[in-house]
Amino acid sequence: MGACVGQLNLKDVKKSFGAAEIIRGVSLDVDHGEFVVFVGPSGCGKSTLLRMIAGLEEISGGEVRIDDVVVNTLPPVKRGIAMVFQSYALYPHMSVFENIAFPLRVERRPQAEVEQRVRTAASILKLDSRLHFRPGDMSGGQRQRVAIGRAIVREPSVFLFDEPLSNLDASLRAEMRVELVKLHAELGATMIYVTHDQVEAMTMADRIVVLDGGEISQVGTPLELYHLPQNLFVASFIGNPKMNLIKVRCEKVDDAGIEVALPEAKGTINVPVDRRRGTKPGHALTLGIRPEHMTPDKSDLNLRLTADVVEHLGAQTVSYAGMSGMQEPFCAVHKGTAPVRIGQALTVGINAEDCHLFDGKGRAFRRRVDLARLAAAGDI
Amino acid sequence: MIHRFRWYEYGLIYLAHLLLLIFILAPFLEALLVSLRPLNAIFSIPYRFVTPDMGFDAYVTMWKNVPLLWRYILNSLFIATSVTVLALAAIIPAAWAFARFEFRGRDAFLGAFLAVNMVGGAVLIIPLFKLMVTLRILNTYMAMIVPGAAFTIPTGIWLLRSYLMRIPRELEEAAWVDGASRLYILRRVIVPIAMPGIVVAAIATFITAYAQQFLFALTFNSVNELSPLPVGIYQFFGRQRVIWNELMAASLVGILPVLVIYVVLQRYIVAGLTAGAVKE
Ligand SMILES: Nc1ncnc2c1ncn2[C@@H]1O[C@H](COP(=O)(O)OP(=O)(O)O)[C@@H](O)[C@H]1O
Ligand SMILES: [Mg+2]
Repeated sequence: MGACVGQLNLKDVKKSFGAAEIIRGVSLDVDHGEFVVFVGPSGCGKSTLLRMIAGLEEISGGEVRIDDVVVNTLPPVKRGIAMVFQSYALYPHMSVFENIAFPLRVERRPQAEVEQRVRTAASILKLDSRLHFRPGDMSGGQRQRVAIGRAIVREPSVFLFDEPLSNLDASLRAEMRVELVKLHAELGATMIYVTHDQVEAMTMADRIVVLDGGEISQVGTPLELYHLPQNLFVASFIGNPKMNLIKVRCEKVDDAGIEVALPEAKGTINVPVDRRRGTKPGHALTLGIRPEHMTPDKSDLNLRLTADVVEHLGAQTVSYAGMSGMQEPFCAVHKGTAPVRIGQALTVGINAEDCHLFDGKGRAFRRRVDLARLAAAGDI
Repeated sequence: MIHRFRWYEYGLIYLAHLLLLIFILAPFLEALLVSLRPLNAIFSIPYRFVTPDMGFDAYVTMWKNVPLLWRYILNSLFIATSVTVLALAAIIPAAWAFARFEFRGRDAFLGAFLAVNMVGGAVLIIPLFKLMVTLRILNTYMAMIVPGAAFTIPTGIWLLRSYLMRIPRELEEAAWVDGASRLYILRRVIVPIAMPGIVVAAIATFITAYAQQFLFALTFNSVNELSPLPVGIYQFFGRQRVIWNELMAASLVGILPVLVIYVVLQRYIVAGLTAGAVKE
């Protein structure tokens, strides 16, 4: 498909609908060939931001550049983008062939070229044998492929996807995720992908942009977001099951880290994080520990809990237990089929180096983890 | 909700249908019977459903009695068809604009259209007449087609707009992103998908145009050759008597084209009026 260049720069991009400010100043640089995922809870403005890049929504402030051209006022077709919609947006009265050929027909390309380009796209997407079908006669996954095919034939420099997999069932979604990643490798084009599903974000993205209330909460690789969330929002949004967040009190601050005390004298733990000026003993902080970071032995702190709910998943066992200082139950993931029963006492151990610590405003203290080493060890 | 009707409930439902049908169809039946009777048997007292010597004579003699009858029927068809084509040319883009685009005064316009419909053609006859005089189209087909179209457009817009509003916006956005112009989108995406809705609007327009041409023909046209059937039919009013049986025969023959169109297209009407969102 030739070399697609696709550089995208957003500079302080804003959007208001009437008095409501939906996008509150987003700046982002995307390199060509990157797979960037916008993720965030529904209603946070992901679609709006994507539609502004596409040219479907006017830009209230700031600047959008594609391949170093300011495109703020350009119509979509002049921006070198192609978009795949959540509902596929296929034309029900046209065959698959004509659906894919639509952008070429608009450009009045000669029939031979249309044939050739549609067939190329169809073979990439394994749609060869279905070109004469109507969209109504196809399954969800196939329709999604047709929608992607319509984007591919245009050979855009930037692909835009708005929750393309959310109408598919779970197993098909997993399959399509893999195919999209493959497609990205094959085309080498820039892709911007919107989803509310953090699993999709973690599995597909080169870089993830976490949006919260119309603002960028954090930008980073999946591993960065997982190991070094900069705030409580990202910490609890990324990861499944969610990170446990416990209200704690600061006991001691020194070069080794910050020592905090859990509520109801459940113990103290010295979290190895960089200190920040103004953090003093007595301050209320939030301790974060991921459910999958429980150690049965050799731990810095043991917590005695009583499980209310236990889920046996075979490969792992998930328990939920009430815990003071937490709004939600404390969740722990045990390896294999652990002997955890409802109503019985259980002990989980946590290690200080797995812990996250956040100040009163929800900002994270910098953890001392070496991402390169973690990545090399394959530890996600 | 699962609900099965009892036998007597079914009975009541069918009875209600029957009453309504009798009410609607009785005039047609009477027209048919009159057209089949000899002239002197029409006013026989007491009323008898079947009279002696019934036959299709009127259907033959009417063409001789009023030699231009075929011309009137063709005029009617021509005028109604032209009105429909002209009106659709305005209805389709207008309905799309009203369904999709945000513009100032959109709702006010829509309301105004309804108001025009309520006022109706009869009230506006004199100003319209002056307009025709100024435009020099009195006593032409135009004089009957243009007002006919004008008064059917508002209803058509309302009918089609509600249909177009159910077409997902993303379809148009996808085409727009792919570089299609508004007209291209209208032609290649909207019109094909909205075809059932357009057929409904077309039939409604045609039937209205067929029915309302009498008023415009009577006032804006005095050329016999251009008259549509409802006006031409007056020629059966003789000096001494009205030739009722031929008049009814001519009326029924005149209704026939509308009936045929309706029967052929009725599956579209049902589909168009009841279709859910155009999901795909
Ligand atoms: N055309 C619009 N007019 C007014 N508000 C809108 C419009 N489009 C989106 N919004 C609002 O903007 C917010 C973000 O919407 P959206 O970008 O669709 O969120 P997301 O895709 O992240 O779920 C929502 O609160 C929504 O109500
Ligand atoms: Mg959305």
